[in-house]
Amino acid sequence: MARYIIKRLLHTVIVLIGISLIVFITIRLTGNPVAAMLQNGTPSKQAIAQLTAALGLNKPLIVQYWIFLRGAVTLNFGTSYATGQPVMQMIMQRMGATAELAVGGIIVGLVLAFPVGIASAIWRGTVVDLFGRTFALLGISFPNYWLGTMFILIFSVWLHLLPVAGDNGFVSLVLPSVTLGLILAGILARLVRSSMLDVLSAQYLTTARAKGLHWWRVTISHALRNALLPTITMIGLQFGGLLGGIVILEQVFAWPGIGQLVIKAIDQRDYPVVQGVVLFLAFLLILVNLVTDLSYAFVDPRVRIGGEK
Amino acid sequence: MNKKHWLSVLALTSVAGLLLAGCGGGASGSSSSGGGGANAPAQNAASNSTAASGTSKPAVNSNTLVIADGLGDPQSWDPIATFVIAWGEIANNIFDGLVYRGPDLKIQPGLATSWTYKDPKTLEFTLRKGVKFQDGEPFNAEAVKFTFDRLLADKKSPQLSNYTSIQSVQVVDDYHVIFHLKTVDPVLITKLAGYGAMIVPPQYIKEHGDSYFANHPIGTGAYQVVDYKPGESVTLKANPDYWRGAPKIQNIQIKFVPDANTRMSMMQAGTVDIVEDVPPAQAQMVKSDPNFNLDVAGSPTVSEIRFDTSKPYMNNVDVRQAINYAIDKNAIIQKVLNGYGQPVSTFQGAQSFGNDPNLKPYPYDPQKAEQLLQKAGVPKGTTLTLTYDGSDSTFSEVAQAVQEELQQVGLNLKLQPEDTNTFYNQLIPQGKAGDMHEFGWGGWTLDFDNTAELLYSKGQFWNPDFSNPQITALLNQERSTNDQSVRQQAFYKMDQLLQQLAVEVPLYQQDTIWAVRNSIQGWVTPPDERMDLWDLSYSN
Repeated sequence: MARYIIKRLLHTVIVLIGISLIVFITIRLTGNPVAAMLQNGTPSKQAIAQLTAALGLNKPLIVQYWIFLRGAVTLNFGTSYATGQPVMQMIMQRMGATAELAVGGIIVGLVLAFPVGIASAIWRGTVVDLFGRTFALLGISFPNYWLGTMFILIFSVWLHLLPVAGDNGFVSLVLPSVTLGLILAGILARLVRSSMLDVLSAQYLTTARAKGLHWWRVTISHALRNALLPTITMIGLQFGGLLGGIVILEQVFAWPGIGQLVIKAIDQRDYPVVQGVVLFLAFLLILVNLVTDLSYAFVDPRVRIGGEK
Repeated sequence: MNKKHWLSVLALTSVAGLLLAGCGGGASGSSSSGGGGANAPAQNAASNSTAASGTSKPAVNSNTLVIADGLGDPQSWDPIATFVIAWGEIANNIFDGLVYRGPDLKIQPGLATSWTYKDPKTLEFTLRKGVKFQDGEPFNAEAVKFTFDRLLADKKSPQLSNYTSIQSVQVVDDYHVIFHLKTVDPVLITKLAGYGAMIVPPQYIKEHGDSYFANHPIGTGAYQVVDYKPGESVTLKANPDYWRGAPKIQNIQIKFVPDANTRMSMMQAGTVDIVEDVPPAQAQMVKSDPNFNLDVAGSPTVSEIRFDTSKPYMNNVDVRQAINYAIDKNAIIQKVLNGYGQPVSTFQGAQSFGNDPNLKPYPYDPQKAEQLLQKAGVPKGTTLTLTYDGSDSTFSEVAQAVQEELQQVGLNLKLQPEDTNTFYNQLIPQGKAGDMHEFGWGGWTLDFDNTAELLYSKGQFWNPDFSNPQITALLNQERSTNDQSVRQQAFYKMDQLLQQLAVEVPLYQQDTIWAVRNSIQGWVTPPDERMDLWDLSYSN
């Protein structure tokens, strides 16, 4: 197990180096950011040349990359061109809000997905199932920015129940979390349903029922536990999608997280911030996937990792 | 069985825990600085009033004015660290310059009560006495010197290039400073009213450092920052000792709301008092709202089509004039901008210093255009290319309108949308942006000098080819004097010449559109986007 973890961590390093290279190159394909920076002032040729030099953007690419990589190892992504602030500090200032939203979205997703998925499976082919599947399909189909705007219109503008946007404590978290969670719920509910259907027809469940166990006990402690494995995998896999959704929803809900930070940085061609945020999020994503993989071994003893006995 | 059961419970909880930890790592740490603290006014507004319906609700809370700001978080409050309008919009109220320029764009005494040119390159300021920074530190000549020494020493500052004419600042006594200039800079006084020239407190910065200052700014302005939540909002408190007099509104909260629909929803929900940047398509909604006024002012941003005068046909002034006659600017403003724009005669707005108000734009006259094209020997059906920034959805519509209009006079226009950065950083500078290309910008100084130098003298970044000896002479003339009336005359001549030469097709000046609650008094929509909140009050 320890060997497996070490191996995976080594993979992580290689993946991160790859990602850093891709981010570094793609952002630079957009050209010198200095002209864009000075557009509100006096972008004479000399001014552009001077600032380019001051920011170290006239150095050979390989040197720039080395500086970036060397810093990244110690979590120092340099300072923002737009603000002069350390990138890591900017990420940390925003990370909390993004984490709140991610957790909120996951909780809403789980709370909705399990009852819907289980009910759909148990009462398969009935009206309940129809509702469940429709819910799941709608959750997957609605673009989240549209859903977010609609929720604002209904719950904030018409009903005046919740704040429109911003981060004013728990009430502000409700709309963006629900928007984010609905999509996750749609995906998970379908998965819970199909996993449950697989398990429900298994012979050991017939045995359990034959022993006279209460149907509730059969469903929850025998069937659901076995249906969990693919669901956990899916949560891990969906984390990337979740981050993507967060970036967009932060914009809609004026949520002060990392998504707004990176959109603004791309807009201003603030290389260090874009590089820092992307690498940071990539690391987070890899970490979540690693944890997901490792969790199989605990949830399902049949899984033997790394060929160990 | 028992053991297995126990294991899986452990596994599940640990997975859940790690998942939460993975994405929640910063949660506890950042709630103090980032998203944690509850915010009374907006929250009250949202939860208290379930009964209201219809359009927007009545005033939120008479103690705190709330502004929904579409430009977003400037991310640093340090005057020399930033280049965004988002900064000037707000920081104009936190800091002061030596001179003051309000929404009427008139230069007035600010932290300096008077100034005189001892010679064209030596400028002496008499400073205002009794002014204090918001933390109590006295404002004096040392603060002025510190401010400019700091700016000129920061080679990474995007503000540096605006102030390179300054050689040094000399302290004469506590209330007199002399600026020694490298070159004559007739726009310097204007530039001292904003951005990189805002006066900062020396002791405070030395004590706390630049990074702290960027998040906890202190100036001499009408409002002091009391709570800054990055990416979310900044809360300002009135400075009772402000030298122009204490502001009437005690608290102002500015919320950063990048999404236009969300800003409009906030207005409808009644949780804001002022909305910055109303999309033209939603202006009608503000007009029909009984609680809000629609305020429109010309912005510094102008749009045009520039000819590459080194290309065949484009090097012929008749062809360039013909295209000017063929394009119906008013129709474009009505159709594409919903009427929220003004036609311009040169590449500057009505508020710009140097704009000749008596010079009228080319009228729409397709017959005249056809005659000129015939005179120039351009065969019917000739194809010309127009390149533009493909991500600029407004201009894409403009381009299509222009294409139709040129079709009317017998020219085929090939539209070539390009990637934003390639377009601005490579195609235009290298003269590869087709026969004509989109161009648009606006500077807060609203002085034609900058535009004239960068677009009509050869070899500039965005003007690789065009030049004209008369224009160059006029440019040199206006740059070498501090006499503003001489400069104005030079610009007026330049305007006429530019129009005759038809170097470009000046299209329009965009409007900035704001929604302002009608119980607010003293609001003047700023043409340079820099709000002046000092004089605001509630009418009730």
